[in-house]
Amino acid sequence: MAGSYTVYFGPQHPGAPGNIGFKLELEGERVVKAELIPGFLHRGFEKMMENRKWENSYVLSYRFCVEDPDSLEVAYAEALDKVFKVDPPEKAKYFRMIQAEFSRIASHMFWVHFMAGSTGLRTPAYWALVAREEILKWFAWVTGHRVYHDFSVPGGIRGEVPEGFAERTIQLTYLVEDIVKDVEKALLGNRVFKRRTRGVGVIKGDVALKLGATGPVVRGGGLKYDTRKIAPYERYDKVSFEIPVGEVGDSYDRALVRFREVYESLKIIRQAVLEVRRGEPYRVKVPLTAPPGRGYARVEAARGEYTVHVLSAGGRSPYRVRFKSPSLPLLTTVLNYMLENEEVTIADLPVVLASLDPCPPDIDR
Amino acid sequence: MVLSTIVKSIEYMLKRPYTRLVPAKSKPFKTERLRGAHILDMSKCTGCSMCQLVCPANAIDMVEVEGNYPQNPRRRFPRIDLHKCTYCGLCVEYCPFNALYMTSITGFELYTRDKKTTLKTPLELSKGDPSLITVRREMLAVKEVKPGG
Repeated sequence: MAGSYTVYFGPQHPGAPGNIGFKLELEGERVVKAELIPGFLHRGFEKMMENRKWENSYVLSYRFCVEDPDSLEVAYAEALDKVFKVDPPEKAKYFRMIQAEFSRIASHMFWVHFMAGSTGLRTPAYWALVAREEILKWFAWVTGHRVYHDFSVPGGIRGEVPEGFAERTIQLTYLVEDIVKDVEKALLGNRVFKRRTRGVGVIKGDVALKLGATGPVVRGGGLKYDTRKIAPYERYDKVSFEIPVGEVGDSYDRALVRFREVYESLKIIRQAVLEVRRGEPYRVKVPLTAPPGRGYARVEAARGEYTVHVLSAGGRSPYRVRFKSPSLPLLTTVLNYMLENEEVTIADLPVVLASLDPCPPDIDR
Repeated sequence: MVLSTIVKSIEYMLKRPYTRLVPAKSKPFKTERLRGAHILDMSKCTGCSMCQLVCPANAIDMVEVEGNYPQNPRRRFPRIDLHKCTYCGLCVEYCPFNALYMTSITGFELYTRDKKTTLKTPLELSKGDPSLITVRREMLAVKEVKPGG
């Protein structure tokens, strides 16, 4: 069927990546242009944080990404450490790494569900959710909550780790690894999955980086770009891990990179858990008023690089809080680059969107 | 590869179901540190309204209560709206007199269609079951460490 059409896609469409809409321009079956319609989840987080005090503004810092909240929590805590000019104890730094890495794995396991759903392979997706559930149970055991943990605070971490922390954490890493291996074999080895993803949504790493993308989209295109290696925060310079990269930069490579990343994360957790010992100091007391100055933090989250910029004019509240999310370039510049340079049909669009793994609440905030 | 996936699927099928029927067949998921509904110790609270100041969700306000409380001459105690509460535990952490605790009552146990039932007056808060207490102030309060670790 030839001819030009304009079709609205999302926010209530099952193939759309969350609560976000697109205005698609079609020529026959081919999608020529996708215009993003954001704003369904805007709540004004940055402004809300500026209206709260230093000691309770961090409660809002991670609430706009359900799937990967801990990277944001760690980022804001680190930015505030720089504002208050305190150095958290070593134990807290290693614990924050474990927290962020588990969050990355949980986020990737959730992504398996979107990716598998858009290609029609529902079975391995449910196995992946078992791994995520085990991680959430671990979080509930250590921090007290399952999804939003309130555990990394300015000056360190909020409480002592429970008894038998190292044993249970290492046990969990092996349990998760077993499940992830099963999921990887069933998903990436599947012929249908390969045909749906090979050569779909190709973007090279250096191009993606120029378009503003970071994270697995860049690494899937063969560029070794990872904030944990370029500008190590916490104690990422003390642990050894690899940066997995793809070759072609298509949807399959991005999926492959995400699975490889899970194994590297587990490697980091196994090294860091030995440094978290009970009985050592875990938190430095920070004052109620901050000195004038600024704090800036970059972290590598599951979707790419988060940057947090906190400006303090002295006093009890932050003067300005600014977050830069990795999801916006994925759905604007990167997606339109793909649509211009290859033939993406309307049937392939959910696969491309799922392989980019955006987080719409991040964009709106 | 498809065959091996099918074999794996059958393996997973023979395992026990991962999902649980709550509350019909099993109890809700609890941990030792679960942060849930509050308990107020009215013999310790002095009405300093620190919990109200630190609450990020504005879930706490101070109300006057009938009775004789020697440590609290103005008889002002926190009233907590559990519908607004985000269960961050900051009120417990910042209470200077160790008067607030958190219990493991959370989730659907607090679910209601009538928001008035989750607005807990000080007297209702003080009647909670102390055996369910999970979070105390000493678990969250900062140990005095010099900056630098």
